[in-house]
Amino acid sequence: MVFDMLPPMQWPSAMRHTIQKELESNTLGAVRKCLALIADLDGAMRGRPFKLGILRTFTVETMLDHLRLALSCIPCQPEMIFGELENIEQELFNQDSMFLASEPDMILILWRMEDLYPLLAWEADTMSVEQRRNAYEIMNSRIENIILSYRGVAPLFLSTFSVPELWKGRLHDFHRPFGVNEIVRRINLDLHEFASSGKISIFDFSHWISLNGSSAVFDLKMDLFARQPIAARSIYSFSAEIARLVTAIIKPQAKVLAIDLDHTLWGGVLGEDGISRLKIGNDYPGNIYRRIQQFVLSLKHRGVLLVLLSKNNLDDVEQAFDTLRDMPLKLEDFSIIKVNWKEKSQNLIEAARELNVGIDSFVFVDDQPFEREQMFFALPEVQVLSVGKDPLSIYTALLKCPSFDTVRISQEDITRAQDYQLQLFRKKLETSCSPDDFLKSLGLEAIIRPVDESSLQRAHQMLAKTNQFNLTTRRHSEAKLRKMIDMPGSILLTLSLSDRFGDQGIVGLCIVLKDQDTDSAELDSFLLSCRAIGRGAEDALWSSLLKKVSLMGFRQLKAAYYASPKNSQVSNLLDRWGMKRVHENSHGVEYTLELPTKIDLPDWININEIS
Amino acid sequence: MNNSEKLMSAIAGVLNLSVDQISDNSDQDSLPGWDSLAMVNLIMELETLFNISFDILEIAEFKSVHIIKLFLENKGVIF
Repeated sequence: MVFDMLPPMQWPSAMRHTIQKELESNTLGAVRKCLALIADLDGAMRGRPFKLGILRTFTVETMLDHLRLALSCIPCQPEMIFGELENIEQELFNQDSMFLASEPDMILILWRMEDLYPLLAWEADTMSVEQRRNAYEIMNSRIENIILSYRGVAPLFLSTFSVPELWKGRLHDFHRPFGVNEIVRRINLDLHEFASSGKISIFDFSHWISLNGSSAVFDLKMDLFARQPIAARSIYSFSAEIARLVTAIIKPQAKVLAIDLDHTLWGGVLGEDGISRLKIGNDYPGNIYRRIQQFVLSLKHRGVLLVLLSKNNLDDVEQAFDTLRDMPLKLEDFSIIKVNWKEKSQNLIEAARELNVGIDSFVFVDDQPFEREQMFFALPEVQVLSVGKDPLSIYTALLKCPSFDTVRISQEDITRAQDYQLQLFRKKLETSCSPDDFLKSLGLEAIIRPVDESSLQRAHQMLAKTNQFNLTTRRHSEAKLRKMIDMPGSILLTLSLSDRFGDQGIVGLCIVLKDQDTDSAELDSFLLSCRAIGRGAEDALWSSLLKKVSLMGFRQLKAAYYASPKNSQVSNLLDRWGMKRVHENSHGVEYTLELPTKIDLPDWININEIS
Repeated sequence: MNNSEKLMSAIAGVLNLSVDQISDNSDQDSLPGWDSLAMVNLIMELETLFNISFDILEIAEFKSVHIIKLFLENKGVIF
C-alpha cells in the first residue's frame, strides 16, 4: 500500500497545491522550490525540530533535499546527520563519534549486502554450501552484535535487505541451499524477530522496493558511477517512506475515527431504501462495504475509538444493526453513537468532550462532499479524509491513511474501546449516588511498582500520548527510559488501577532522577491517563513516590510544572501537595519539598506497593 | 521555456546559482559548487527533465555546459 504523505492541512491550501503539483515532476529543482516556500512559513506551522541520523553503506547525500522536504511535510523542522560512508559500528559505538555527539532523535541504518559482504553478493557461485551458510551466520552475528551493543537513547531503525541485482530471479540460486535469495530472506526474518523483542525497529526497505518493482527504483548506472543506487524518479518516494517512520514516532496516532453510515459503511440510504435494500454482504457490491467495515473494526482492535456520525433516526439504525447480523461491525463497537439530525461538527465536538480527547485527534470519513466541507470549515483541526464518489475510494483512502500508523500496539490499545465502555458504567454509577459513596463502591485497587521490561512500552506510550494530566510533558523515547532505569538514584513507578468493573491497566507514571551534581531528587515526569482522573489515583502514586524518595535518603525533592496548551488542570497540583514555590515565570513554576514527608491518602483506594 | 533555457535553469537549480550566472562557456572550473555531488545531481536532473538516459561512460565527460549540450543533442534534444 502506498501511503498518502500529504502536506499538513494547516498549511495554506495554495502552498499545499503547489507542493503536490511540483512533486509530480520528480525533479530536484521542484523539491528545492517547495523547501523555499516552506522556509517562509510561520514557525508554529513547521512543527518541532527533529534530528534524523543516517548511517549507511551507500550515497545518500543526493537525497538530502528530498528527505528534508518529506520530513518537513510531517510537519517537523528536520536536520539530517549522515555518518561516514561504510562506518556503521564505528559511528554507533565510538563514544567520540561526531555522529553520536550530534544527538540524533532517531537513527536509521541503510545498508546493502553488496556493501556488507561483497564476496557473497558477487561470487556466491564460487562458494560451497558451507561457505554460504557461514556467510549468512557472519552477517547475522554482525547484526545481532549491533543490536545487543546499542545503548543509545534514540530509537534505532535497521533497514531490511534486498536481493542483489545479480541474483534476482536466478533460477539456480533458488534451487540450492543457502542461495543468496534464501540468505536475504533469512536475514530479513531475523530482523523481524529482533524487532519483535522491542530493542530495535525496522525500516522495511524490501517492502518499499516491492511497491514499485526493483527495475523501477534502482539505477545501476548511478550506483556504479557514484554508489547512488536509488533512481531519480524514486528518491522522493524513498524519502516519503522514511518520513512515514518518523511520523509514527513524533506524531501522536489519531485516537478516533468518526465515520458516516449511509453510502459509507453500507450501500444505500437507510431512510430511503429500507433495510432489505441496503448493500452489505459477501457479494458485489455489498462486499466493498464489508471490506470497509472490516478495516474499521480492525482499527478498533488497534486502539482507535470509533464514533458513528449519521443523519438518521436512531430507531431505524438500531433496527438495521439488529437485523443485518452478518456485518463485521456491531453497534457496540462504536464508543459513541451520534445518530441525529444535528450538524456533524456539533456532534463531533460533543463526542470529543465525552471521550475526553482533543478534536485534533479525530479522523472524519464521509461520502458526502457537503459534510466534509462543513466539517473542515467548522473544525479545521479534524483530519477530513479526501474520498471520491465511489466506495472503493473510501476503502483505499482508509488503507492509505498514515494517521493510524503506529510502530507498536500495546495491551492498553487492544482493550481501549472496552475500557471506554467500562468508563461509561462508572459514570452512570457516579451520577446515581453521592460522590463519596460512589468512590467507596468502586472498590478501587491500585498497584504501584517500578517500571520494568514488561511495562516499558506502556510507560513510553503514556509519555508520548498523555497531554492533560502531565506536569512536564516530556516525551522520552523507550531507549531513554531504559537508560533512566539504570541511572543511580532514579525512581520510575507505574500505577495500575482496577475496580469492580474491570482492570484499567497502567494509568499512572512518575519519574524521579537524581541530579548528579547536587545529589537532590528531581521530579522529571508525573502523569495520569485521563480515564483515571478524579479517583485519588494521583495521591496514591505521589504518596508512594514520597515514601521511596525518603527511603533512598534524599532530603529534598525538586519539581516543576511547565505550562502547555493542554495541561492547565495540573497547574496547582504541586501546591495542593504542599510543595513550596521557589521560582515562577511565564513557562511554569519550580517547587521544592523537604523530606521526609507524607500526604493524606484517600480511604477508598486499596494500595499495593510492589518493589 | 525552450531547451536551452531548460538546461540553464536545471544547472542553476542544481548548483544553487541564478540563471544569469550560467552561460554556454561555463564549466566545472568557472562555476562554484560544481563538485562531484553536484555532478550526480545534475546527471539525474537532466535525465529526468529531458526524459533520456545517458551512457555510462559519457557521464564522466560532463565537465562543461558545451559538452553537456553535445551529449543532449546526441540523445535527440534539439537546441
